[in-house]
Amino acid sequence: MQISFLIHNAYGIGGTIRTTCNLARSLAEQHDVEIVSVFRHRERPVFDHGPDVRVHHLVDLRKDSPEYAGDAPEHQQPARVFPSAEGRYQQYSRLTDRRIAEHLRSVEADVVVGTRPGLNVHIARETRRGPVLVGQEHLTLDSHSTALRAQLARVYPRLDAVTTVTEADAASYRRRLRLPGVHVGAVPNSVPEPRVAPADGSGKCVVAAGRLARVKRYDLLVRAFATVVESRPDWRLRIYGGGAEKERLRSLIDRLGLYNHVLLMGPAHPLDPEWAKGSIAAVTSSLESFGMTIVEAMRCGLPVVATDCPHGPGEIIDNGVDGRLVPPGDADAVATALLELINDDALRERMGRAAARGSARFDPSRVACRYETLFEDLVSRGGRGTRGRLRSSLHRTRGALLGGAYSARAAAGAALRGGRTA
Amino acid sequence: MTTSADLPLRPGIPRPASGAAATRPEPPAAPRADCIADSAGGLTFDVEAPERADSWDTALLFRRRGGRGGPADELRLPLVPSGESRLRAVLPSTVRLPEGRWDAFETAPGAEPVRLTSGVNDLRTITDRHPDPGSGPVAVRIPYATKHGNLSLRSWLRAPHAEAGDLLVRDGEVVVEGRLHGVRAGRGAVIEARRRLDPSHIRTAPVTGDGSHFSATLVYAWFADVWEGAEEPWDLWLRPTGEDGAVAVRIARILDDVADKKAVYSYPARPLATPRGPAMAGPYYTVDNDLSVRIGVRATPG
Repeated sequence: MQISFLIHNAYGIGGTIRTTCNLARSLAEQHDVEIVSVFRHRERPVFDHGPDVRVHHLVDLRKDSPEYAGDAPEHQQPARVFPSAEGRYQQYSRLTDRRIAEHLRSVEADVVVGTRPGLNVHIARETRRGPVLVGQEHLTLDSHSTALRAQLARVYPRLDAVTTVTEADAASYRRRLRLPGVHVGAVPNSVPEPRVAPADGSGKCVVAAGRLARVKRYDLLVRAFATVVESRPDWRLRIYGGGAEKERLRSLIDRLGLYNHVLLMGPAHPLDPEWAKGSIAAVTSSLESFGMTIVEAMRCGLPVVATDCPHGPGEIIDNGVDGRLVPPGDADAVATALLELINDDALRERMGRAAARGSARFDPSRVACRYETLFEDLVSRGGRGTRGRLRSSLHRTRGALLGGAYSARAAAGAALRGGRTA
Repeated sequence: MTTSADLPLRPGIPRPASGAAATRPEPPAAPRADCIADSAGGLTFDVEAPERADSWDTALLFRRRGGRGGPADELRLPLVPSGESRLRAVLPSTVRLPEGRWDAFETAPGAEPVRLTSGVNDLRTITDRHPDPGSGPVAVRIPYATKHGNLSLRSWLRAPHAEAGDLLVRDGEVVVEGRLHGVRAGRGAVIEARRRLDPSHIRTAPVTGDGSHFSATLVYAWFADVWEGAEEPWDLWLRPTGEDGAVAVRIARILDDVADKKAVYSYPARPLATPRGPAMAGPYYTVDNDLSVRIGVRATPG
């Protein structure tokens, strides 16, 4: 298959970029894969997409490049296709509208994959007839504004598939958006095998990592650790990452007298060797659209104590086997779960080994396999534009079954097509 | 998940964050080195070298930052093929490496040394070191990634050594405890606080301990009378006996995997009344991981 990803900026740093590079690299072992980056602001991508993946860009924002397009008049005008309620709307323009449309009208691919809502709208509306259209959701439907959800609801019916990173979010899509005929399914993010040996459970250290943001609720973790220290002063908590909450956390640590036991380590890259210094990981977020750090810690052999928050943790952790799920917002429950693992070396080591085994299902090769199956299935059914006579009977059946809904989709599609050619 | 918040917005729209565009052309990708520490403090470096995997004439070169390039400021270790497209060099704990920051390069005959980028530093064996207090100099090397992602090494070599442990910050004072290496605290042992602006100003606190363990309480009020209103550090030394001429030992925290303690090991400052008005006082680690007490107007340095 020829597979073409459309991404905001393949040259930046972030979860979507990393997971897309992992996926593209794995798929490229069997398939012809390209990543098309709307923007390019740096010479080389930070994440390694492997030698077989072609990466190119549509809008060059390297100031010293002859192709620099940041000052183009077209780039000063607001976008019309990219949805206005999307978080990155302000970075898009009439120029990106045009360049993305040109790319999608001529794209050589069996499968076109969008990696964020605004780009999914582009591929749904503008891809030439033929390729299968897959829109990825890397956050969650619930995290989008009402306005964006309404914009997506109008266009997503034209996709062949929507993929989410959790089953919970896939259920939200099925429940909240009417997407007749669109395959909606969850495929988790991938995490490669760490480049360090797994932790052996002997380090008297609990490790947490992520942006120091309110949603991560590190305040809860610090409070829980105050309880841990009362009975196990020989243990430490290390929190990796930077962010706006740092000073607030610093003063909480000082107020609780935990400055010898809780360390704000700052950002670390790569994180794997830092996980391996600990023997328990903790995630106390109030919201995790997936829970990448949970998988990273597990791949390094750490059992994870996590809040059972929406959406990811409960789908990653097998409670009592490779980690502990506790109610969100409950510091005592976090402390109890941590102490259970701290006070039982055999349990901690057993759960750590189970975590390393269980998290292998997130290996890029396994995740790529799930995508491959999905793509092949969709291609064999035929993409939006090629569902010709062969599938007309199926269409009619589905149309009859779904009645008005399918008709609405067809009408919306016709209207959009009409609008574009007019 | 942010992707590239530093991309410019359309003009007229306020930028949430500033970011300089990368300049072109970027140099070719530098070789990457992984490092793994053993429990004695020895380090093994693996350099990715797919094109040079059979090479026997390359070396790992460490240059001391700020050095003059003389023999004392360079250390060369042979890089030898170790399979899987890698070259390996070993820095045993017994090799003497003077204190300082050492930048890592790969070097081959007739070629300019190439700065190595930092890969995976697996330091789990040195997160909590407890060397025998009686045995020789305390040698510590902590590999780390510079802010540009290059591999450097922080080295300490101390004999004797006073390792700071937990600190207990109370109203108006701080309790400092730790372990001595290569010397024992005897009768009359004290912690000396030396005023960095004028080392003739010394305040002393009696040490309690059992020889290798030490503990002392520093009262902030001792520093109040000479405070002149600026940010003012007092450096902490341990004098193992009360005898004149006994060698004082700088108190530091170096026996773990944290190359820069200053931002990580952070302690609360407490109010202090001085003749010049209210101040804040508290312990902190210097850029060399030595322990000092700071008197200043603000709780944290600017």
